[in-house]
Amino acid sequence: MEISNGVKLVIFAGTPGSGKTSVIKYVIQELKADFKLFFAKFDCLKTEDDQFISERYKIPAIKKLAGELCPDHYTALEIPKIIKNNQDKDIIFIETAGLCLRCSPYIEEGLGINVLDVISGEPSRYGPILTKADLVAISKGDLISQAEREIFRANVLKVNPKAKLVEVNGLTGEGTIDIVESIKASPEIKTGKLTLKHSMPSAICGYCYGNKTIEEKAVHQRYLAGKELKNLIPNLNCGKCGFKSCNEFIRAVLDGKTEKEQCPFIKEKLKKIKI
Amino acid sequence: MSSKTISNGVKTEIEKITILPGVNKFGEKEKFEKIEIKKGEIVAIVGQTGAGKSQLLYDIEKLAQGDSKSKRTILVNDKKADKKLRFEPKRKLVASLAQSMNFLTDISVKNFLSLHLKARGKRFDPKLIREVIEEANEITGEPISPEINLLNLSGGQSRALMISDIANVSISPIILIDEIENAGIDKEKAMQILVEEGKIVLIVTHDPTLAFNTDKRIVVKNGGIIKVLKTTLREKGIGHYFNWVGNYNLELREKIRQGEKVEKTELFCEPIK
Repeated sequence: MEISNGVKLVIFAGTPGSGKTSVIKYVIQELKADFKLFFAKFDCLKTEDDQFISERYKIPAIKKLAGELCPDHYTALEIPKIIKNNQDKDIIFIETAGLCLRCSPYIEEGLGINVLDVISGEPSRYGPILTKADLVAISKGDLISQAEREIFRANVLKVNPKAKLVEVNGLTGEGTIDIVESIKASPEIKTGKLTLKHSMPSAICGYCYGNKTIEEKAVHQRYLAGKELKNLIPNLNCGKCGFKSCNEFIRAVLDGKTEKEQCPFIKEKLKKIKI
Repeated sequence: MSSKTISNGVKTEIEKITILPGVNKFGEKEKFEKIEIKKGEIVAIVGQTGAGKSQLLYDIEKLAQGDSKSKRTILVNDKKADKKLRFEPKRKLVASLAQSMNFLTDISVKNFLSLHLKARGKRFDPKLIREVIEEANEITGEPISPEINLLNLSGGQSRALMISDIANVSISPIILIDEIENAGIDKEKAMQILVEEGKIVLIVTHDPTLAFNTDKRIVVKNGGIIKVLKTTLREKGIGHYFNWVGNYNLELREKIRQGEKVEKTELFCEPIK
């Protein structure tokens, strides 16, 4: 992928209800006059945030629904396409679905922001969503005491000593200026090579291919059937079968919702085998 | 203890901060030469909603060098702030007491204070913990025991403990008090404890007791500082009188709680010592 103009990629991750969208609203408000912005919201089943952002702030916005896929894996698959389609922009904002503490597709070449709710529990329970963030925006601090806030900050720094900490308030916009400064100082993506800050969790069992029966044998059989199909398809996630990714297609075939011939590559291979 | 800020292992004592003028939201230069706030001083920031109180607090917290919206410069001990002091992520120059003052941690007062000390990188210090609780008890009418659970503290006890904790345990040399709920505490005593510990106290308030219990009031309008009022002796007296009324009210509440009868009222307060 060739990128002529540098573009900044800012990824917001955080559990649902932590205040990601509220923080993003203030950040967009602050930056929209001076920069060309783009907003992509990833979610599992439903969201209207894209519409809300584009109507209120008059910037282009899209939504991406992961459906049967892990939303963070899906985000990582989609990031290159979003960058490719938005090379005329200055800053691309990606808001993740924020369900998984083990996962969040921060990339080395961009800025990863974790919006962390102070009443969400011990920071040491969180995985890469917190430990790999460049900036941790601590939200809802006004609900607890100054002493508890200091303890919370110390606990965050224990698991992510390099993070920049900003206390934010999604209702008043407090802390926005610091986030905006970090975005302005963040690097621009100049080459096509992007690297995840950490590996995604493995997806290797029958459940990953859509198995629902809780039984060792059934899980294994589903896994073998999935693996067999996996060997036949190219794993390009090209979407020509009508599904977002090859894994989703395999699940649909195993569930009897579609035919394996829907994949143009399998069709070719099967033809060759017949000859 | 005194107001020390740790920056790269080097302790920086804040003796004084100085505000140099910037511009208001119309781009007009602010009309003052400089405003100095010394360690142990209490300064109120007053003005209407949206007048620029938050921007002023932000400038102080970030030790602005003409690079913020207001273009103000904040000096520390008459010098431009060290870059390390400005951008050290672990440092927090301003600690704040916000409007809602609740504890959410399910733990005893004593264990909570030692947890806070630990978060500050300090050792368990039973003497300091005892002092924090003793000072809190000077602010509230109902004494706090070290063994009581934080969640069982009354509103007044919570506020008193928070103020004593911020004075004695918090790392931040500047304390911001933003329109706090102040029922159930001796406000004058609370402020006295903060300044005795060498903090600079900034209060956003329009409560006469608090606003008159200051050294000066910075008046903000249209994004700029329009004047600085030195709190007069007369105003201090008025503030002191209302604080006395508040404390007398607390005393009466306590009597009512104890099931006593109150047949006469006191009308005169003691003058300022």
